[in-house]
Amino acid sequence: MEPSTSILIVSGAATGLVGSLLGLGGGVFLVPLLTLALGVPIRTAVAASLISVIATASASATVNLGRGLVNMRLGLSLEVATSLGGLAGGIAASLLTHRQLFVTFGTTLGVMGVIMAARSNKRNVIVDPDAEPGRLGGRFTEGGRAYVYRMKRLPVGLAASLVAGAVSGLLGVGGGIIKVPALSAFCGIPIRVAAATSTFMIGVTAAASAFIYFSRGDVLLPLTAAVALGALPGSLLGAQLSDHVRARSLKILMAIVLMLVGTRMGLEGL
Amino acid sequence: MNEKASALDKTIEAVLTLGLAGSAALLTLGLFLGRSGLLQAGVLMLMLTPLARVVVVTVVLFDEGDRFFGTVSLGILLVLIGSVVVAVRL
Repeated sequence: MEPSTSILIVSGAATGLVGSLLGLGGGVFLVPLLTLALGVPIRTAVAASLISVIATASASATVNLGRGLVNMRLGLSLEVATSLGGLAGGIAASLLTHRQLFVTFGTTLGVMGVIMAARSNKRNVIVDPDAEPGRLGGRFTEGGRAYVYRMKRLPVGLAASLVAGAVSGLLGVGGGIIKVPALSAFCGIPIRVAAATSTFMIGVTAAASAFIYFSRGDVLLPLTAAVALGALPGSLLGAQLSDHVRARSLKILMAIVLMLVGTRMGLEGL
Repeated sequence: MNEKASALDKTIEAVLTLGLAGSAALLTLGLFLGRSGLLQAGVLMLMLTPLARVVVVTVVLFDEGDRFFGTVSLGILLVLIGSVVVAVRL
């Protein structure tokens, strides 16, 4: 039985809110919700999620751009890798069985949750406001204080973005779940900047595979439309609220959610 | 760099807002009237919004003389066009 339109709109709104609060597209919650709670087949859920991730990420990007948190140069550089990954993932998605999709989903989330938890104490900002940020670094202000950060290990950032894109294409999650922890843990990017920059890229990453799902006929129109419509107001609200949450609480919350959802999805495939 | 970036930010914001508002209107109407043509148009418009954003960023960067990042952005555009081509051929 197909879930009702109002339930789908609420699902989109709730996952869009949590997603943009955490600087993700929200697909990481939407796919489990649609499959586990509402009984939607995983491929249909992934396609709907990709489309609604575009809505969530674009809506949050409009909020984040005004705050100066998006690092455009870094975003563009990594976007080349994520869009290539997204294209590859979209093509490869048809090769995996439903069970393999569940297990891949669960494992990916679990691993990222552990990395996030292990490095939640790390601070990436340089307190000296006159320090040079370099070509891909940047500055931002928070709570009236100016911070500077530098990009470290660009190849790691590019590799993580490529993997994020591929995972996005396979699992419909946008890839923030991989980029944000990787940029924050290994590349010296403060989590808020990592989240805002990742969200900025996610629309493009998701679009790179969405066209492929669309032409394969995996996009179930009324379901996708309802979820995406809900995601819009949800993510706008989430992006507004994200200003009021502390960076460390964000990291810990994200780590816990990742491990829980990852375990549940992984079990589904076993 | 900051002032240039903020002009670009505003353009991007405008493109994204336009795309989102347009597709939200189409999707709402489509669901309300039960017309799958409108739903399809709304979903397509949503999918094309990031593509439009990349086109705008590429044009603005080249216009500002930032050839390095303009070329990077052009690369992204080519990947997206590639994915549309792959999708059409499936």
